[in-house]
Amino acid sequence: MRTDDRLHAYIDGELDAAAALELEREMAQNPALRASAERLRELSSAVRTQADYHRAPQRFKNAGREKRRWLIFAPAFALAILLGAGIGLYLARPGEDAELVASHVRATLANRVIDVASADQHTVKPWLSARLPYSPPVADLSSEGFPLTGARVDYVGGRQVAVLVYQRRQHIVDVYLWPDGETTGRAFARDGFNVEHFARGGMRYALVSDLNRNELRDLAKLLNSGSGS
Amino acid sequence: MTDRARYEALVLPHLDAAYNLARWLTRNDHDAEDVLQEAMLRAYRHFETLRGEARPWLLAIVRNACWTWLRANRPAELPASQDEPESEAPGPEALAAREFDRRALNEAIAALPLAFREAIVLRELEDLPYKEIARIAGIPIGTVMSRIARARRLLAQALQPAAVTRLRVHK
Repeated sequence: MRTDDRLHAYIDGELDAAAALELEREMAQNPALRASAERLRELSSAVRTQADYHRAPQRFKNAGREKRRWLIFAPAFALAILLGAGIGLYLARPGEDAELVASHVRATLANRVIDVASADQHTVKPWLSARLPYSPPVADLSSEGFPLTGARVDYVGGRQVAVLVYQRRQHIVDVYLWPDGETTGRAFARDGFNVEHFARGGMRYALVSDLNRNELRDLAKLLNSGSGS
Repeated sequence: MTDRARYEALVLPHLDAAYNLARWLTRNDHDAEDVLQEAMLRAYRHFETLRGEARPWLLAIVRNACWTWLRANRPAELPASQDEPESEAPGPEALAAREFDRRALNEAIAALPLAFREAIVLRELEDLPYKEIARIAGIPIGTVMSRIARARRLLAQALQPAAVTRLRVHK
């Protein structure tokens, strides 16, 4: 393999551990090679952040929408089912994850990801506090590459929860949070969506997105460290 | 859940990814919409073949629909092989462009030969690992690796200050 091809695979995280180690050893002794890797990273990130991302025209999204009218009643159905299943469902953690993913997908499909559009934590926080019996922490992580785009109130696990909406490139990250300090960090994946959980300061956090697992975990770490609040 | 509801819940969330790929491969909105229409129909009909994640599965269908469409309508864009060794292969030191201008960058991606454009869009815009790209494009992982490397080398060349001017003049 050409050194150059290896360098590309390296910045893509696609070299196996031994080959990556070997290349790092070469780079330590060869500043030019190191500089090349750096320039490649810049090019890659320029493509990611500046290339046009073409979104599907609305008519494709509306296809089948008329058949989905019943989704308006989805929260009511969810409530009825949850009341029926009671605590059993709440304890069934995979069910909770599936519900979080379903809630995220529903909001994305119905184009109602955001009820209050603002990148300003001092606008978002009072908006949420006015609608919930608690005041969720709202972090500004734009300097870390996760700009806040707004928030909504959603209904998950039989309770109203705050949802902070962050953006990473073209991906939307929903951060669900509600009071309940009891969880150990864990992760879940389903249908191309990832879910990350942790607890901090008496609040449960669940991050849901089609963003890749590593970057979603980065955001979880930032929120868990209290950055930007 | 009915099949229809499962299809809507699993496949429709990836519409933007599907359109973005079709748009980059056909390079215009009108053709991208035609191809997407066709691909979504195929996806619905072959929904039972979905195993595992929906996004790569849908992207593979869209990718094949694009190639079929291009073969029929713009055969010149599908050379027999785009993977022959590069005649003149600049090393990474040729990547000197640091300040990338958005327009030049988009033009440079659009100007990449089909196979390289496809690889770079799946890698950088869809953030897919080589393994998934190989499955979507139906090529070995080694070919994915060399196409991505080649695509970035071509982009870097096109984004040299002098080349940017050249690209504009020829448009």
